[in-house]
Amino acid sequence: MSQVPNARVEAVYFSSAGGETAVSSCLSAPIAIECARTTTNDFCRSPTADTRHPKRQAENIVYAHPFSYHRAGSLLEASELLQQLGEEARLIAGGQSLIPLMKMRMVRPSALVDINFIPGLSEIRCSDGQLRFGALARHADIEESDAASSIPIVQDCAAGIADVQVRNQGTIGGSLAEADPSGDWGAVLLTLETSVRCSRPSGERTIALDDFFKDAYTTVLGHDELISEIIVKQPAKNSAGAYLAFKRSAPVYATASAAVQLTLGDSDTCKDVRIVLGCVGLTAIRAKEAEKTLREKKLEKKRIDSAVEAVRAAAEPQDDMRGSADYKRVLIAALVKRAIGIAARRARGEQVEAGHEYVGR
Amino acid sequence: MAKTTRVKNKRLKAAAGSGKSRATGAPKWVGQPIRRVEEDRLVRGKGIFVDDQKLTGMLHIRFVRSSYGHAKITRVDVTKAAALPGVVCTLTGAEVKGLVKPFIEIGPDVGQKIADYPMAVDKVVYQGEPVAAVVAENRMAAEDAAELVEVEYEPLPPVMTAEDALKEGSLVHPGMGTNRNWHGVFEYGDMEKAFKQADHVVHIDRLHFHRFSSTPLECNAMIAVWDSRSERIEYWSNNSFPSFAAQFLSPALGVRIDQILMKSFDIGGGFGIKITNYPYMALCALASRKAGDRPVKWTETRTEHMQASAHGNERTFLDTRVALDKNGVITAIDSRHVDDCGAYPRYEPLGCVIWAQVLPGSYRVRNIRIDMNQVVTNKCPVGPNRGYSRMQQLWFLERVLDICGHSLGIPTDEMRLRNYIRKNEMPYETPNGCVYDSGDYAGMLAMGKTLVGWDDWKRKQAAAREEGRWIGLGIGSTLDSGTNNFGQARIINAGAPFSGQSKAAIAKLDIYGEVVISMGSVPQGQGHETTAAQVVADVLGVSPGHVKVKPGFDTEQNAYTGHTGTYASQFAVTGLSAIHGAATKLRKEMSRLAAWALKAKEKDLEFGVGAQGPEVRDKRSKKSINYWALANIVNVNNAGMPEKLWDVTLNCRHVYHAPFQLPDVKKKFGNLTLTYAAQIHVAVVEVDRDTFQPKILAYACVDDCGRAINPRIVEGQVHGCTAHGIGAALMEDCAYDGDGNLLASTFSDYTPITAMNMPDLLYGHMESPSPFTFNGAKGMGEGGAAPVHTICAALQDALYSKGVIINDSHNTGDSIFLAVQRAGTGGFASSVRIEHRRAAGRSAR
Repeated sequence: MSQVPNARVEAVYFSSAGGETAVSSCLSAPIAIECARTTTNDFCRSPTADTRHPKRQAENIVYAHPFSYHRAGSLLEASELLQQLGEEARLIAGGQSLIPLMKMRMVRPSALVDINFIPGLSEIRCSDGQLRFGALARHADIEESDAASSIPIVQDCAAGIADVQVRNQGTIGGSLAEADPSGDWGAVLLTLETSVRCSRPSGERTIALDDFFKDAYTTVLGHDELISEIIVKQPAKNSAGAYLAFKRSAPVYATASAAVQLTLGDSDTCKDVRIVLGCVGLTAIRAKEAEKTLREKKLEKKRIDSAVEAVRAAAEPQDDMRGSADYKRVLIAALVKRAIGIAARRARGEQVEAGHEYVGR
Repeated sequence: MAKTTRVKNKRLKAAAGSGKSRATGAPKWVGQPIRRVEEDRLVRGKGIFVDDQKLTGMLHIRFVRSSYGHAKITRVDVTKAAALPGVVCTLTGAEVKGLVKPFIEIGPDVGQKIADYPMAVDKVVYQGEPVAAVVAENRMAAEDAAELVEVEYEPLPPVMTAEDALKEGSLVHPGMGTNRNWHGVFEYGDMEKAFKQADHVVHIDRLHFHRFSSTPLECNAMIAVWDSRSERIEYWSNNSFPSFAAQFLSPALGVRIDQILMKSFDIGGGFGIKITNYPYMALCALASRKAGDRPVKWTETRTEHMQASAHGNERTFLDTRVALDKNGVITAIDSRHVDDCGAYPRYEPLGCVIWAQVLPGSYRVRNIRIDMNQVVTNKCPVGPNRGYSRMQQLWFLERVLDICGHSLGIPTDEMRLRNYIRKNEMPYETPNGCVYDSGDYAGMLAMGKTLVGWDDWKRKQAAAREEGRWIGLGIGSTLDSGTNNFGQARIINAGAPFSGQSKAAIAKLDIYGEVVISMGSVPQGQGHETTAAQVVADVLGVSPGHVKVKPGFDTEQNAYTGHTGTYASQFAVTGLSAIHGAATKLRKEMSRLAAWALKAKEKDLEFGVGAQGPEVRDKRSKKSINYWALANIVNVNNAGMPEKLWDVTLNCRHVYHAPFQLPDVKKKFGNLTLTYAAQIHVAVVEVDRDTFQPKILAYACVDDCGRAINPRIVEGQVHGCTAHGIGAALMEDCAYDGDGNLLASTFSDYTPITAMNMPDLLYGHMESPSPFTFNGAKGMGEGGAAPVHTICAALQDALYSKGVIINDSHNTGDSIFLAVQRAGTGGFASSVRIEHRRAAGRSAR
């Protein structure tokens, strides 16, 4: 329960199970960058701080609503702080969504519980056929890790999330807990056997990612519960995936994104497949009908076309500045089609580039 | 058909001749691609921007802004805000109305009936308009207090499109009695005859140039101190036309103009839209006075900037008719244009004439009739956004050319060659009396085609079409008219009391022999400190490192005229002419002084750098005197100086006047601009068949701005305007919904272009020196939004065979998808019509 001088500010995620109002795309990269540069001393204003002090006046450069700042030393302490501080308190991890929202006063937590200083939460490691990400693993750490490079779809995703600043700060745990319908990790990890290890005062539990998201910005996490680890089962050798996210510019959320993980059997048969659609619904959408048209079938153009038709039907996009709903259906179908092609080639052992794509080039 | 008009303007030629430097030989520094001296401090974060300034006792202002586009204000209550600890004072619209006069309106008649107060009084007319302000000890308190201001509105029907505005259903400013704040017909040549004799007539029902902005890295920022003891208002701001702002502020605030002190230093980009931030300057001054003369700072947030600073002009082109001869040469254009200037005109309706600087674009067409209209709508007021008003006209002409070319089966490159003004016709007088100084458009196009590999791409395009791919090649021809004649304002309002163009500069030898240049320009990345030093170095025979150039505007230095600012592509002409003139005067004084000191004849003196630094030498005696000694004689050691030298001050001010005359207001005829830089871009764009996303496969920019003072800076400017243009063409759109909400009020939604969206640029440079400037240079940097024209041209080429007409300047995967859908159902069938009047046949090749 103390103000932290010169601590590096990281970002945040919502751990609230209560229905967080859907906030439209409001991550503003330049603002996020400005925040990331700010020391806690500048923006974490305790309600009792003396605002008349001239030095403090000069340093007041972020305009969040007043909140108190708390640094947790352990998962348990974080949970306890959340319990004590009540529903208006928020966890802060990488802060790349929460801080811009706070700065624009679109969210106004009464307190922040900083988990960045909890030891051992950033590890990425392989064991027993599982890839385990600590909740605080940064996108950039994942991008660069050897462990992650063994799963191409994870690499596709991590290497292109927003911009360098966001990748250096933003965390995989934060991204899942925020449950933004346009988030990258949800769609990607749903194509794999993923589970989420969570911690709260009453103990730990592990939740399958399929059961984790409830709605836009809403997960099954309790208010005092936080993600400690994300566990991904290593796909089989003959399995590969691809993630394609189409973004208007690097720092913004994608207009549509497609994640496909495909297991090839003999003579180009699709043994298994998972197709997940991002940005075109209130949560990432598993296109199960589309999967069905491909599973246990030979990968032929006709089948892929009907899978893509099923994708079109499964998408539930909305009109916004990123595009009209009609167009997003066209785009998601095109992305899935290409992602299936890339995943299949990768499963055959080819090296193929994929990832985030931008307007104009 | 096109008739060549040779220019017989003695005044223009005389002006250029008299400006020629007699003092110097061949330039040594001008023309060199030296690094910008500004770069070091700017890239190290050592620039001095407004927000870096912290004054003793400084307060912070926050504005409470309208969430409605159009609504009556029924109640404003600041009681709770005023009671918050740390809050010093508040302002409301009703209060502001009692303290200031409405700003000057440039437009005549109905335009004079607009009451433009810096804060909304009875109703709000655009989303983000300030309705109240709070002033507090720190920004946090101001932010908290602003949330406590209670405002109640009664929504009114908003006017959101030009066409809606013309219907006059709902009025933005009821006092005007109309939404159309300007109307005029620009007609030249013999329209009737041209259409009668035409072989083909092409009709285009509607084209639309969208609203976008420049999103400079630094938003608006200012500090105001209304000091009642000295009876003056001091501003530190990033306004990019401070002398213009002062002329608006003085009558509004009821102070003499000499009581307004303007100052600026580094500015993080402007592109024109910071010209119109003066309403906020008025509010900050009022806040300072109310707070007891304390400094008040305002630093705009990005959302404020997007909603309520300034956008570029939006323009709709209706009922266009184009007459062509059998060879596809355009002989006449008839069209009705409706410009949308948003809620308040401010710098407008100047845009209603500024486009006429490039009336025929790069083309020889002599018969033109444009019915020009401007309307007010419930959107953010516009400001002169890079490429201001000319880019809309150029885009219109490029669309006309491409649509006609495709309609008649004439390749778009050939279409341009048949219509371009020829190199040997320069200087060329346009139908409305503008004089294109020099240029070789066909040569530039050839260079662009070579750079991009046109013929090779044509082959690839044909092969790709066989595979069902959509690849298009596009050309965008632009003119960057620079050094404007303010006399064109009289075409807007015959009573407008301004004309011409001028800039001032001061060159002095300071007490210890330093060469110091003050110029009052307001650079925002254009490298003025560097190019000014290059010019002065050549005049004095020193190196640019010996010359200290003071950037920024400073009223107290007196290096300004009423035209001083950085706008309208002109520094290389007007700014450098003033500096060259001042340095030449200084050299003359130094020469007289040195002749006396060295007992030599002036004609035997040479300027250069010796063992003791910059000096003046006597070629005969080999004796020399350095700058310190010269300055010492005049400034601190002047006993014994002969009386004939008492007029030597070593502090020389020079004002450059561009050689303009008043235009003929009735005929709307006259020389509106001095120089015409040109940019011709060539692009290859593929539209993905599945995603409909346009992808740039190759991109070439060819630039001709006359003699380049610093080719490195020129190339940088070309890259910058190309990025801006590609952003506008494919990504950036200040879109509003029908209720008056700006849909792009954050960068997440507006998506300004980033490096990730940029293609590799192929760059070509040509020099057609201007005969009208002392150095052969032409202003540049606005670039005429060449990529917008070029990308639209490429898309048109890619999709014409699908029946798509590219009728908007903004194209995204989404809009292209919709256009292809529409074309599939014959949706564009009626939007372009071709009449073949004679038996000329379809193809004119």
